[in-house]
Amino acid sequence: MSTQTENPQLDAPLGRLRPQSASSVWIRRFTALAPIWTLLVMGIFFSLASPSFARPINLNNILAQIATLAIFGTGMTFVLLTGQIDLSIAAVAGLSGMIAAHLYGNLNYQEPIPLIAGLATATLLGFVGGIASTRFRIPTFMSTLAVSLIAGGLNTYVSKGRTLSEIPDLAIFLGSGRIGGQDGFRVIIIVAALSLLIGHLVLRYTRFGRYVYMTGASLPAARLVGVNTDMIIIITLTISGFMAGLAGIVSMGRLGSAQPVEVPSYLIDTIGAVVLGGTSLTGGRGGIPQTIIGLLIYGTLRNGLDNIPSIDVYLKDFIRGIVLLSALVVNLVFSGKRARDKTN
Amino acid sequence: MNVQPVIELKNISKRFLNLQALDQVNFDLREGETHALVGENGAGKSTLMKILAGIYSEYDGEYLLRGAPLHLMSPGEALHHGIGMIHQELSVMPELSVAENLFLGRQLTRFGFVDWKRMDKIAQDELAKLGFEHIDVRQRLGAYPLGTQQVVEVLRVMISGAQVLIMDEPTSALSPAEVERLIQLIDTLRQTNRSIIYISHFLDEVMRVADRITVLRDGRKVTTLDKTSTNVNELISLILGHAVESAPTHVSESGSQQTLLDVNQLTADVFKDVSLKVGKGEIIGVYGAIGAGHFDLARAIFGMYRYDRGTINVDWHVFPAEFSAAYAIKHGLAYATESRRQSLFMEDAIYRNVTMPHLKQIGMLVPTSQHEMQVAQPVIERVNVQPGDPLNPVGKLSGGNQQKVVIARWLAFPPKVFVMCEPTRGMDVGAKSEVLNILRAFRDQGYGVLVVSSEPETVLAVCDRIIVMSHGDVVAEMVNKNLNKDALMRLL
Repeated sequence: MSTQTENPQLDAPLGRLRPQSASSVWIRRFTALAPIWTLLVMGIFFSLASPSFARPINLNNILAQIATLAIFGTGMTFVLLTGQIDLSIAAVAGLSGMIAAHLYGNLNYQEPIPLIAGLATATLLGFVGGIASTRFRIPTFMSTLAVSLIAGGLNTYVSKGRTLSEIPDLAIFLGSGRIGGQDGFRVIIIVAALSLLIGHLVLRYTRFGRYVYMTGASLPAARLVGVNTDMIIIITLTISGFMAGLAGIVSMGRLGSAQPVEVPSYLIDTIGAVVLGGTSLTGGRGGIPQTIIGLLIYGTLRNGLDNIPSIDVYLKDFIRGIVLLSALVVNLVFSGKRARDKTN
Repeated sequence: MNVQPVIELKNISKRFLNLQALDQVNFDLREGETHALVGENGAGKSTLMKILAGIYSEYDGEYLLRGAPLHLMSPGEALHHGIGMIHQELSVMPELSVAENLFLGRQLTRFGFVDWKRMDKIAQDELAKLGFEHIDVRQRLGAYPLGTQQVVEVLRVMISGAQVLIMDEPTSALSPAEVERLIQLIDTLRQTNRSIIYISHFLDEVMRVADRITVLRDGRKVTTLDKTSTNVNELISLILGHAVESAPTHVSESGSQQTLLDVNQLTADVFKDVSLKVGKGEIIGVYGAIGAGHFDLARAIFGMYRYDRGTINVDWHVFPAEFSAAYAIKHGLAYATESRRQSLFMEDAIYRNVTMPHLKQIGMLVPTSQHEMQVAQPVIERVNVQPGDPLNPVGKLSGGNQQKVVIARWLAFPPKVFVMCEPTRGMDVGAKSEVLNILRAFRDQGYGVLVVSSEPETVLAVCDRIIVMSHGDVVAEMVNKNLNKDALMRLL
C-alpha cells in the first residue's frame, strides 16, 4: 500500500482519478451551483420582506420583465462563449424596431415585410461587426462599438428624432399579446423561452455549438484541430445581431412605440445577467442554463426591490449595484473558479 | 597575483521534489572574464543560472560576492548587487523607444516628470561608446531587427549598473551577422572589466567568446577548462560523458518508395529554402537548437505560419500559397505543437479532446457522446492513456499521458503525414519510450511522420533520416545510421 500512495492518480480502481470523499464531492457540487443558491436566497428574502413578491401574478411579471433580456441574452451567451463581446445589441435593437415601424407606419408596407426588414438589418449589422473584427483583427469590443454607433446613427436618421407609435400588429402581438384571452399566457414569455430553448439545443447538441465552446476555451487549440474560428466568431455575432433585432421588435411591441433612441440599460443588463449566471467573459464556460439562472437573479433583484415600498425610490439603482457586485463576488468565490495561476 | 573572484559558488545543491538538479557544484567568476556554462538540456545550467540571478532563493551551499556571503531573494536584489540577467526570450518592449527600453523601470525624472531629453542623450552616448551610434534611441525598438533588440537588452542590463551579466542562449534567435555583432559587444564589455556568464548550445560560439568553460552534466560539475586548453571535440565528449553511444538502430530499411509530404524551398522570415521529403512508412526528424526556425517551419507546413516562397505538397496534392489548418487536415496532415497546453482543451474530457478534429465524420450535425465514445475509446486504449477513463478531464493527466491524447486524437482517422513537435518533451523514460513506440507503429502502418525537435535523443531514437537546421538554414541531412549526439551537436 505504501508504495502505491506515491501516485494517487494511478492507484484508483477502474482508471478513475483519485477517489474523493463523499463530503468533498458534495461541497463541490454545492459550490458549483452558487448562482442557484444566490437566486434562492434572494427569492426567500424578498418573499419574507414583501407580501406581494411571491404571488403568482408577480412571478409572472418577473418573467415578462426579463423576457426581452432573455432574447438578448441568448445571443450574448453565444458571443461570450467564444470569448468575444457584442456591445451593439441595444442600438441594433432600437434600429430594428424603428425600421419596422418606419416601413409599416410611414411607408405602408404590408406585414410581415417590416418585421423581416428590421430583423434582416439587425442580422446584417451583427455580421458586419463579425467580419470587421475577424478580417481586420479589430477586437470585437471595438468593432461592435462602432456598429453600435452606426445603428444608433441610422435610427436617428430614419426616425428624424421622432417616436413612431404606429407599429406592426405582429410586433404588438409578440410584445404584449396573450394567448387565451385577457388572462392568458404572455406571448413575450413564449418567445423568450423558445429563443432560450433553441439556443440551448444548438449549443449543447450541434457540432457548431461545440465549436463555439472550443473557440472560447482555447483559440489556438481550436485552430489546430481545424476549426475555422473566424467563421465561428462571425456566426455568433450574426446570431447576436438577429437576437438583438428580435428583442428590439418585441420590446417595441411591449412599449407600444418605436423610440428614436436605444434603451441603454439593455446592454449592461444583458451582459450583467449572462455573466451573473456563470458564463465566463473569457469564453469556453457557461451556457443557456446559466444564462437563465442569471436572468432570474436579475429579474428577482429588480422586481423584489420594487415590491418593498419602504425603500427610497432614488436609492434603488444604488442598492441594485451593490447587490449585483456582491452576487458576482459570491459566485466567483464559491464556484471555486478563482484562478490559481496568477499569470493570466 | 591572486585575484579574488567576483562571484564564487561553493558546494551549491538544489533539489526539486525527486530530482537532484544541482549536486555540490563549485563555480567562480573572475573580474573581466567571460565564463561559459555548457551542458545538455537538464544538466543544471538553468538552475545554476537562476540561483546566480536570484530567481531561486532556496538552495544549499555558499554564494559569495567579492568574498562576502550573499543570499539573494529576488532578481531585483541581484540587480541591486550588480548582477543582471539577459533572458533567452527577449524581455524588451517593442512598442517603446530604444531609450525607454534602456531605462525600463527607472526613467530619469525632472520635477516628477519624465526627462526625455536627458534620457535620450544618455542613451545615445552610451550606445556610441559601445559602437552602436547607428541606433536611433528615439526610434521604436520593434522597428529594429531581433539582433539589435538583443543588443539593446544587453545594454539595458549593463546601463542599470550590472557588473556581472548572465546571458542565457543569447544567440539562439539571431542571424549569423547578428551573432557577430553580439560577440563584438561581449568583447567590448570585457574591455570595460565586466564579467559575463555565457550559456549556449553553440559550442563554436562558446569557443570564440569564453575565457573559461565550465561543463555540467546531470547536476554535477564535470570540470572547468581554459579555452586555450580545449577544443570542441573535447567539450562534446565532456558534455556527453565520454560514453559516446552508438545510435539505437530503429531505422527502417531502404528509403521510401512513395513520397507523402514534399516541401520545396520553403522560405519565411525565420527559415529559408527548406526542402524536405517524408515518404510512406518513414519518420523524418528535423533537429535544431531552440530558435533554429524548425518549429515555425512545422507550423508553416500546417498552414499556421505565413511563408513567402516555396511549395508544400501532400501526396501529390499541391497546397495553395495560403491555406488554413482545416485545409491541411482535410488533405491528410496532422500536427501537434511543442506546447501541449496549446493543443489540448484542458478542462474537457479526454474523449472529447480525441474526437474534436473529427466531429464532421462522427455526426453530420449532431455528434452524440455515444458515437464519440465509439470512436475515441479504441484509440485511447491503443495508446494506453493512464488513467484511461475517457471522461476524465485532460488537464488532470500527466504530461506523458496528455501527449498520448494528442497522438490518439489523430489515430482515430489517420492522416497521411503526422507533423509532431517535441513528441517527448518533459516526460519520464517510460512515457518517452511508449510515445516513441506509438510513432513507430504509426510509421509501420505506412504513414509518414515528421518529428521536429530540439532534443537530439528524440530524433536519434525514432527517425530514419535527420535534417539539421541552424539559424533558419538546413545545414545537413543524413540517414540515421551510426549517428550520435555529438555528431548532431557539432552541426549546430
